[in-house]
Amino acid sequence: MERLNFTHPIHLIVGLTLWSVWFVAVYSGLSVACAVNPPPPEARSLTLLNAGLGGFTLLCAAGLVLLAWGCCRTAKQHQGRQRFHAVVSGWLYLFSAFGVAFAGLPIIGVPPCL
Amino acid sequence: MKSVNQEAVEQDPQQLHEDLHDIWGNPKGLKALTIVNHTTLGLRFMITGMVFFLIGGILAMLVRTQLAMPDQDFMSPEIYNQVTTMHGTVMMFLFAIPMLEGLAIYLIPKMIGARDLVCPRLTSLGYFCYLFGGIILTSSLIIEMAPSSGWFMYTPLSSKEFAPDLGSDFWLLGITFVEISALSAGVELVVSILRTRTQGMALHKMPLFAWYILAMALMIVVGFPPLILGSVLLELERAVGMPFFQVAGGGDPVLWQHLFWLFGHPEVYIIFLPAAGIISTLIPVFAGRPIVGYGWVVAAITIMGFISFGLWVHHMFTIGIPQLAQAFFSAASMLVAVPTAIQVFVWIATLWLGKPKMKLPMLWVMGFLIIFVCGGLTGVMLALVPFNWQVHDTHFVVAHMHYVLVGGMFFPLIAGLYYWLPLFSGRMPSENLGRWGFWLTFLGFNGTFLIMHWTGLLGMPRRIYTYEAGSGWEIFNLLSSISSFVLSAGIAMVLLDIALHFRFGKPAKHNPWNADTLEWANTMPPSAYNFVSLPNVETRHPLWDDPNLPHTMAEGKHSLAVASHGRREMWGTDPISGKVREIIHLPGNSWWPLFAAAALAVVCLSLLTKVYALAGVFVMIAGIFLLRWSWENGAHPKAAPDAGVKPGDPPLHSRTMDGPGLWAMGVFLIANGSFYLSYLFGWFYLWTVSPQWQMPESPPLSLILMGAAGVAVLAGCGVMEKLVRGLRQQRDAGLGAGFYLAAALGALQVGLTGWALWQAELAPTQTSHDAVMLVGLVYALFHGGLAVVLTVLQGLRVGYGYVGAHAPFEPGVVALLWRYNVVTFGLLIGALAVLPRVLGG
Repeated sequence: MERLNFTHPIHLIVGLTLWSVWFVAVYSGLSVACAVNPPPPEARSLTLLNAGLGGFTLLCAAGLVLLAWGCCRTAKQHQGRQRFHAVVSGWLYLFSAFGVAFAGLPIIGVPPCL
Repeated sequence: MKSVNQEAVEQDPQQLHEDLHDIWGNPKGLKALTIVNHTTLGLRFMITGMVFFLIGGILAMLVRTQLAMPDQDFMSPEIYNQVTTMHGTVMMFLFAIPMLEGLAIYLIPKMIGARDLVCPRLTSLGYFCYLFGGIILTSSLIIEMAPSSGWFMYTPLSSKEFAPDLGSDFWLLGITFVEISALSAGVELVVSILRTRTQGMALHKMPLFAWYILAMALMIVVGFPPLILGSVLLELERAVGMPFFQVAGGGDPVLWQHLFWLFGHPEVYIIFLPAAGIISTLIPVFAGRPIVGYGWVVAAITIMGFISFGLWVHHMFTIGIPQLAQAFFSAASMLVAVPTAIQVFVWIATLWLGKPKMKLPMLWVMGFLIIFVCGGLTGVMLALVPFNWQVHDTHFVVAHMHYVLVGGMFFPLIAGLYYWLPLFSGRMPSENLGRWGFWLTFLGFNGTFLIMHWTGLLGMPRRIYTYEAGSGWEIFNLLSSISSFVLSAGIAMVLLDIALHFRFGKPAKHNPWNADTLEWANTMPPSAYNFVSLPNVETRHPLWDDPNLPHTMAEGKHSLAVASHGRREMWGTDPISGKVREIIHLPGNSWWPLFAAAALAVVCLSLLTKVYALAGVFVMIAGIFLLRWSWENGAHPKAAPDAGVKPGDPPLHSRTMDGPGLWAMGVFLIANGSFYLSYLFGWFYLWTVSPQWQMPESPPLSLILMGAAGVAVLAGCGVMEKLVRGLRQQRDAGLGAGFYLAAALGALQVGLTGWALWQAELAPTQTSHDAVMLVGLVYALFHGGLAVVLTVLQGLRVGYGYVGAHAPFEPGVVALLWRYNVVTFGLLIGALAVLPRVLGG
């Protein structure tokens, strides 16, 4: 259970691991959907695929922001090593959230399978 | 400075030094081949790397000579292709990575207050694999049969049809052999950094260089296996005709690109991170103040380690990938600029707030900052898809790559070599010669590659052996070529300076740069055991906070200043807090790593010459050597038969359940898992994307047999877990019989899997479906067989008294492999036997 605490260094890698999982899921999901059942090109970016990928992206980004906020709160209650881990993890969660939002931004306007 | 087992009795430091030297000292003559010490092996890595660098450099000069003028016939097209391919291959695989690994192998134990790396015999195996693999690969140049398909060996250019001679085989086998070395270094650097830091050195007090190397080592562990898989598949295609990358057989050449760049892009950061670690070490020393934003740098390293794995497709923007997917990778490629910029601003802020002294190493640091920032900016340009299409495969990309790699790796490396030279030799380099070397290199480099950007923008493609007069590229190529010779002169001057300094350099005073990290607490040059006693370190700047520390350490006033037991000992500490957990005892010098590497070299040569029977025999011989090596562990007479420690000291690691071997196995299984996930990626990729993938109407693999095999491996794992739980509670009744039972269950799994394979009647040379399936089943058979052999050995070791309640460590290591086998076998059943039945073709 100690690992669940935001002062554990495992959180240094959890945020970016989630970013990686999001990235692989979105890229492979897109590839499989385009290979199996591509939406019509005339739909441009207004497709169920874009909506699904966009929703998943929003969910991941929101989750990561929440985790960053949790780290921030925990950091205030500690000093020394534990504070260091919580602060750095918090920034890494925040960066991961930004990474999800930034890399996922094209979902809004780019057709998926062209 | 406190110490848990500080010596109460005054000891004669000289006597202590001699006693420790008796235990740790290196043998001379032929027996020098048995040395496992990290200092010696780190130097060997670096010297060998420099030899390969010279070879790669000469190849580069040949390329520039050929391109200096239009319509040159200095080299034939065939030889030119071999020379360019080998230049890239040698520089990336035989120089950059091994050189930086060598530096890390040399420095890390000294920086973290340890006496050696945690798996010394693995260091030695890694070195010999690197040496033999490098010799095999470069020997192809002498017989004019070097690989010629480019350093990334794209299929089908590297396939049998277009590269029928042995060149591609040299590359595939040689590089795979060398990668054993990289992986072994990766595994032990991770474990060493996490588990052998000196007492009190918590994670957040670790030197930044160790953070960088930790990230680099983990990236090697995860990033290299996809290329190993790709190389294995391509060699199988070339040797026996399994069509993994042939469209007609249901394969896809783009799969190679994915596997290569899954490795290839992170590799750029694998090379950059340790170099940036050098910069983050040197700048605070020469600025005379702690780095600004230690935590920011740790965050930036972590971000780079992850994001760099999400960029690989930006090397493939022109192959026909959907726009949205390109946009993902374009955005990810831009994201990586963020952690890079964080580090650059941290370095600038540290220099701004300190009082920088422009000594020789700092010149190279400044050169790095200028060149690398320029290379980073052209990297962001290349991340933009339309620009990328425009300059794809032109000299602009070549120029960008050299700005990033030479600026990002070579300049910091030379800065680091100059900085640590007094530690290596006890002597100072020549400032004059060094400055001449720097300026010639800096001007020559920019003259070569800045101009090459323009050549590329004018449309000159890369990998053409000549060009016509009147193309408009003549003057730029001539200037690049002239500058490249200036660059060579600069590098020659640096190498001359380094060579001469061993003889003529002024003797260095202790800690000549007034550095803050522990490696400068060594003698100069260092002793084989690094430190007479191991200090308690609770600061990021031990030598700034306690300048007397080197003396008290040398006088044996800290921990583990004992030699009477005859063991090579150091602390095993908690990976987070740095609290002492156990005493790690290390093996001494050994022939086994050399023998194993030599046997593997024969395997490599046998495969090259297609004498497969001999290769099979030497695989067995190499296996026997490795198992014999593993036999000399724990309570074995050559390891630590006597578990006695001083009162108050923690136990030896082999008498606990959590030694470094367990961690090494864990990290090795991460690498193995990366290989396996790459395999699954290949299976699903071909299934989904390959235009002529042929899924049989009825799945060939028996679900019943595979399911039964799965139950057997699960049961075997259960037995192993029960035995380990018993050992944890000091119970060892029926231990030997338990191991034999688990081994029998493992043998049953192997038998059933083999039966399923036989029954499937696969045609692996006809379809990529059957070929991929065969590879997966062979993987499962190998791992099942390995678990059986290791478990039987555990049973035997119980009989010899090397394993039991008194020495409970090893079964837990083997049990980890069993867990891994359960998971991977389960996934294999799902991927090969269940999903095809559920989803169909």
